[in-house]
Amino acid sequence: MVDNSHNQELEDLREAARPCFQCGICASSCPVFRVAPEMNPRMSVDSIITDGQVPAEGNEWLCAYCLMCEERCPMGVSLTEILMGIRNISSKEGKAPPDFVESAEALLARGCLSPTSNRSVKKRVDLGLPDLPQPDPEHVKLIFEVTGAYEVLEANRVAVKEEAE
Amino acid sequence: MKYAFFPGCTMANRLQFAEKSVRMIVPEFGVELVDLAFTCCPEPNAVRSLSEDTWVTFAARNIALAEAENLDILTACAGCHESLTLAKHELDTKPERKEKANEILKGMGLEYKGTSSIIHVHQLLFDEIGVETISAKVVRPLPIKVVTHSGCHLLRPQKILQVDDAEVPVKLDMLCEALGMDPLEYMDKVMCCGAGVRKTDSDTSYAVLKEKMTSMVMVEPDAIVVFCPTCFITFESGQRITNRLFKTEFKLPVFYYTELLAIAMGLPDTDALLADHRVKIELPEFSDTKKEDSESIPT
Ligand code: SF4
Ligand code: SF4
Repeated sequence: MVDNSHNQELEDLREAARPCFQCGICASSCPVFRVAPEMNPRMSVDSIITDGQVPAEGNEWLCAYCLMCEERCPMGVSLTEILMGIRNISSKEGKAPPDFVESAEALLARGCLSPTSNRSVKKRVDLGLPDLPQPDPEHVKLIFEVTGAYEVLEANRVAVKEEAE
Repeated sequence: MKYAFFPGCTMANRLQFAEKSVRMIVPEFGVELVDLAFTCCPEPNAVRSLSEDTWVTFAARNIALAEAENLDILTACAGCHESLTLAKHELDTKPERKEKANEILKGMGLEYKGTSSIIHVHQLLFDEIGVETISAKVVRPLPIKVVTHSGCHLLRPQKILQVDDAEVPVKLDMLCEALGMDPLEYMDKVMCCGAGVRKTDSDTSYAVLKEKMTSMVMVEPDAIVVFCPTCFITFESGQRITNRLFKTEFKLPVFYYTELLAIAMGLPDTDALLADHRVKIELPEFSDTKKEDSESIPT
């Protein structure tokens, strides 16, 4: 699947990463790097700048999105936006991990990620909590349709299937 | 004061007692809550990773619902707060984003204008109501030692969220002091709890939690105080799994701040809040800590 919009997206990411001078403060502030050094935000940025491509290992999916790297970067590089950008590109290529795809499926099916169950409803009743008004499912579908989420989901569903075969 | 209340799916479906505690305390400060047909915020990590456009449009719809009622939004989860606030920032600073979102919202009879602000219960209590007013409502001080964890998604990015100092947060500690608690400093106070990678790589997630909690137990607290249902669940349930994986011995009770506030204010039925806590704590007896009538204290 060739999609030229990736080139523009990569160019934008490269621009966002340009001020980086590879000091490593992001990595040394990263809680995930502390326990799993294969996740290294500095390397993700480096790969965008020097190779002009998203890192092949897919470690960016290990980012906990705590925003520590970005807060501390002395050059004001928005690392989480870059990591999100990388994830957006690899999602379109069907490389999103299953749990991310599951979350999107849940959002599509119910409008929320944390599902209600008989037990959770009973808890609300027992505590005297109100029934929360539910969103119109058509609104949810419409957003998925118009923002391209269906295609991204489909790309990843196909990838999951191929993997299984 | 009236707000559109945004408990978020995690709190509404998994941490109902925390939601209850928010709903219990706000009327005491003259705040009224309205429930609207919100979707998931959506969760800042998962959905945004797949598609920025989808993420920002869901958030725009949620905010537009509150705008249609002329209400500001009150969030209770750090993740929801961050997601909605960052999306609002995108929509308010990038006109093309807003235009695109509004084209979609038009089909639902909604419009994003940028008129509603978004505040978290943390900000309602500290910035709007204030520590002194809270302190004055306390009838049952709680003399316990606590470590606070404000949560990544309330602290960063500081320049957009502006809840507290991202490196040296003090406001939740001050809110705890107002209830008679003793908040302790600890090394990794602004570190993440690890929740963000739990589903992708649970071992890594619990390794992060182990680092975080190791730093907490070094100062020997009686409990952890948080302002986010996801952090709550990570600490409370995660410590057992961490114990199994790494042979640690964590056993710290966890509280969502407003639970303690409700107890300290002497509100009725707070036992129902604590019934579902998995790690129990013996809070000092009411009669032991009850504030003396100040007039009876000789000066
Ligand atoms: S902290 Fe900023 S400048 Fe330093 S390596 Fe990371 S992105 Fe580059
Ligand atoms: S946002 Fe991601 S990369 Fe940055 S410090 Fe947190 S976990 Fe590490």
